[in-house]
Amino acid sequence: MKLLIRSAKIIDNESPFNNKVMDILVEDGNIKEIAPQIKTKKVDREITLDNLHVSQGWFDSSVNFGEPGFEDRETLENGLRTAGKSGFTSIALNSGNDPVTDNKGAVSFLKNKAQGQPVALYPIGALTRKSEGTEMAELFDMQQAGAVAFGDYQRAVSNPNMLKLALQYTQNFDGLVLSFPQENKIAGNGQVNEHEMSTLLGLKGIPALAEELQITRDLYILEYTGGKLHIPTISTAKAVDIIRDAKEKGLDVTCGVAIHNLFFTDEILKEFDTNAKVLPPLRTKADVKALLQGIKDGTIDMVTTDHSPMDVEHKKVEFDNALYGTLGLESALGALLKITSLKTAVKMLTAGKSRFNIPENVIEEGAPANLTFFDPEVTYTFEKEHIWSTSRNSLFLGQELKGKVYGILSDSTFLASED
Amino acid sequence: MSELSVDHLLGIKYLKKEDIELIFQTADHFKEVINRPIKKVPSLRDVTIANLFFENSTRTRLSFELAEKRLSADVVNFSAASSSVKKGETLIDTVNNILSMKVDMVVMRHPNPGAGIFLSKHVNASIINAGDGAHEHPTQALLDSYSIREKLGEVAGKKVVIVGDILHSRVALSNIFALKLQGAEVKVCGPTTLIPKYITSLGVEVETNLRKALEWCDVANMLRVQHERMDISYFPSTREYVQLFGVNKAILDSLDKEIVVMHPGPINRGVEITSDVADSDQAIILDQVQNGVAVRMAVIYLLASKIKQL
Repeated sequence: MKLLIRSAKIIDNESPFNNKVMDILVEDGNIKEIAPQIKTKKVDREITLDNLHVSQGWFDSSVNFGEPGFEDRETLENGLRTAGKSGFTSIALNSGNDPVTDNKGAVSFLKNKAQGQPVALYPIGALTRKSEGTEMAELFDMQQAGAVAFGDYQRAVSNPNMLKLALQYTQNFDGLVLSFPQENKIAGNGQVNEHEMSTLLGLKGIPALAEELQITRDLYILEYTGGKLHIPTISTAKAVDIIRDAKEKGLDVTCGVAIHNLFFTDEILKEFDTNAKVLPPLRTKADVKALLQGIKDGTIDMVTTDHSPMDVEHKKVEFDNALYGTLGLESALGALLKITSLKTAVKMLTAGKSRFNIPENVIEEGAPANLTFFDPEVTYTFEKEHIWSTSRNSLFLGQELKGKVYGILSDSTFLASED
Repeated sequence: MSELSVDHLLGIKYLKKEDIELIFQTADHFKEVINRPIKKVPSLRDVTIANLFFENSTRTRLSFELAEKRLSADVVNFSAASSSVKKGETLIDTVNNILSMKVDMVVMRHPNPGAGIFLSKHVNASIINAGDGAHEHPTQALLDSYSIREKLGEVAGKKVVIVGDILHSRVALSNIFALKLQGAEVKVCGPTTLIPKYITSLGVEVETNLRKALEWCDVANMLRVQHERMDISYFPSTREYVQLFGVNKAILDSLDKEIVVMHPGPINRGVEITSDVADSDQAIILDQVQNGVAVRMAVIYLLASKIKQL
């Protein structure tokens, strides 16, 4: 199949064509030619779009669907389609399904289900059996089946010895360990960030201390053990400082931040909107500022949507009874471009690949065509009609966003957002 | 101002100063009514009110029910123990079921903060929050301010200390909002483990020493320690709590001035305050209870007049 992309501005730091407007000819899934004007008559499809920009396909390091176990929230098929329409060509799927992805069979189930989809699914295996924190899961076996990292979704490794052993054991096969940053005893039954807003609303607070204490502990363990540690979602100013120091020390640690933790503060909780109930919680202006600085100086390695489809039965309830999570895939670009530059946004949406061992495809002749197409300028209000997920729990509803995805090209398939 | 600026009473923080003044003027009238030989007025003859208590309550429920009955409203009561909530019904469904039987107003107590706000967005009725978790208990704060006004002439400029478990207390939060709105000065005092870290953002000061707090204040509002809301132990023992934060007659007598002692009830005699304090002339605890009925009549009347021609 031949595909010709007309007049696309290439956004790819690694590419010799970075920031240039080029035609791109793709043949049988590979980039055949990049040139200012390609004269080819016989192509199967020609793509001409307004203000077209193209980058390497994006990767999201923390995504949840519902399958298996919560298919009414989201199926793998529609979830992956949603990811693709939102600009992602690959995603890492968290282990928090029912049953938990804690063995080879569960990993294989996910891989098989995702076969033939334009978006590549990379399962994250649970670190401990049933994510209960007591016995280590068969990590190597899961890696053999396709798991790219190991972590218990939104559950901290409370037992320090478990983290120590996991960081040691995974060195035998270069595994990546995820540790959710929350000291559970300090967090208690907290629902939201402990600060002025939680005080005003009488909601139980999760102190920033809970996150910072856990990260500090994890890094002490990492310093002792060696190994590879990734903190999936950080949210506080001090967490950025702690990780910055650790990186300066040379520890092999990376971290991500959820886009909603960059876009919103806990101010939005004022009306007890359950879509704003996320974990880690939305923090303060000062935290957001420090997180953005962390992105700028390289302390934060990647952004994630931490996409969590949730059925209405668990959101249209009293705040304390609501489950955590917001949708994030559909609004990812539009939200990011409101708070960072185009260059930073694209970097943050692609930088996680190397850490998770996912192929990076620089935009150059001869490379596989794994591309995301978008217009970074168009502004719009994010409404229900922009949600492709089965669930509707987006915190971004009603927000002014900037930048829309046209679609992706992956595995020889062009998936248009408007299809 | 002849009507409230709000359609529901969800919390003091949603009220204006003028709303409180209007409620108090209306309550003055009803206080006179409930001291008449015939304590009842026909104002709310066409209004049906459901009292939904998803959490145990004796005095608040009784006070609301009396207020409603003295206004001649039709009243239905519902408590979680005897409800379908235990069978898994959602709050919205429970309330909508009751509303479909033509109920105009809902008085709700609920263990979760924000439950009243949540409900007001999803059902079509006037909602009065009778306590939602550790968020607000607006009628309690109104009756507390009303009682201070009655005892000391006005609330503005008065120094009030709220003593005890501030962390789990909706009474504390609503009182802080109400007192600040009316121009009082507020301090909170209690075990530091039970004082929210960011409480000063509400414009109050923290005093860790009970004696200093009492020396400073005109009014001490003594809160109950809410053991039922505590997931862990915030202080070692009741004995030690009493040593640090219990008010007894000896302390009161040693102060330069005679302060007013309040308590929202139920009192743990010998814990927050000793019996001789509770029963002393300085305590206005039973006045608070009586004023509670008048203030609640005022709130119900004013909200009902926004939905019906009374």
